[in-house]
Amino acid sequence: MSPKRGAPVKVSGIYFLALVLLAYLLLFGTTPDKALAALAESWQVLAKLLPALIVVIVLLGLFNYFFNPKKMARFLGSESGLRGWLIAVAGGILSHGPAYIWFPLLSDLRGHGTKMGLIAAFIYVRAIKLPWIPLMVEYFGWPFTIIISLYLIVGGVVQGLLIDLFDRWVFVDGERPR
Amino acid sequence: MMETPSLYRAVKNAAKSFLAITPMLLGVVLMIGLFDTLVSEAALRSVFSGNPLYDTLIGAAAGSISAGQPVASYVIGGELRDSGISMYAVSAFIVSWVTIGFVQLPLERRLFGLRFMLQRNILAFIFALIIAVASVATLRLFS
Repeated sequence: MSPKRGAPVKVSGIYFLALVLLAYLLLFGTTPDKALAALAESWQVLAKLLPALIVVIVLLGLFNYFFNPKKMARFLGSESGLRGWLIAVAGGILSHGPAYIWFPLLSDLRGHGTKMGLIAAFIYVRAIKLPWIPLMVEYFGWPFTIIISLYLIVGGVVQGLLIDLFDRWVFVDGERPR
Repeated sequence: MMETPSLYRAVKNAAKSFLAITPMLLGVVLMIGLFDTLVSEAALRSVFSGNPLYDTLIGAAAGSISAGQPVASYVIGGELRDSGISMYAVSAFIVSWVTIGFVQLPLERRLFGLRFMLQRNILAFIFALIIAVASVATLRLFS
């Protein structure tokens, strides 16, 4: 999720970056030409990324503005039939941030009677990252992006249906104990 | 009552979110530089055999144990494809990257139970394979 107003930015990946820089230092010590070639290659990748990243920041801002977990909870909490599946799929696509941020909210929804299949579908279709689509298109093109996104939606719903089916086999009333 | 952010503040917050992951992104980009320079196409081909089934399995397994922003999977996937790795493997890699998360398994188990965690992640792995094959096959059908 986005940081709160005035809150310090919690930076992640420092240790990872430090490890990578250490690897570069070691490479400079042994084969400096390869280290320079790796840096040049990295710069090319970064230059390719930058324009799409600007678009992504603006899109993330728009999602922050229009959607928040509380709003999504209201939509997904009123699931039933086809409407429930549509809400789960739309919610999964529109939500952003790491999946585990949404787990507590989804657990809450489960406590209020949301089917596990809907939760599974929500989590799966989060694989479609709307803000990142410009970048996916940049790398793989529009046809691939559209095709894989459609399959991810179908896959998410089928998985949800299968999980509900497993529940009906295992639990007498089709509902997991809460 | 939840405060509604202004659009400006929402975009500013998004930029801050990005700032927070900048070291991770830079690390990934620098790793790609290292990867491209040090790992030869021959070495890659020794892991990804060209057999669609095997490649897809390896791609899905690699994506499953990876973690981080989806951008990293697109960038690495794009680089793998440019190195001659099959789109079956690349597709399975990017799908499993975002649908299966080893690092989040303990939380998933705690909140939803072991059974759901296992069901969901096993299904997600199987579907990463199916979706990868189906997507590439469909793409070829229409191109």
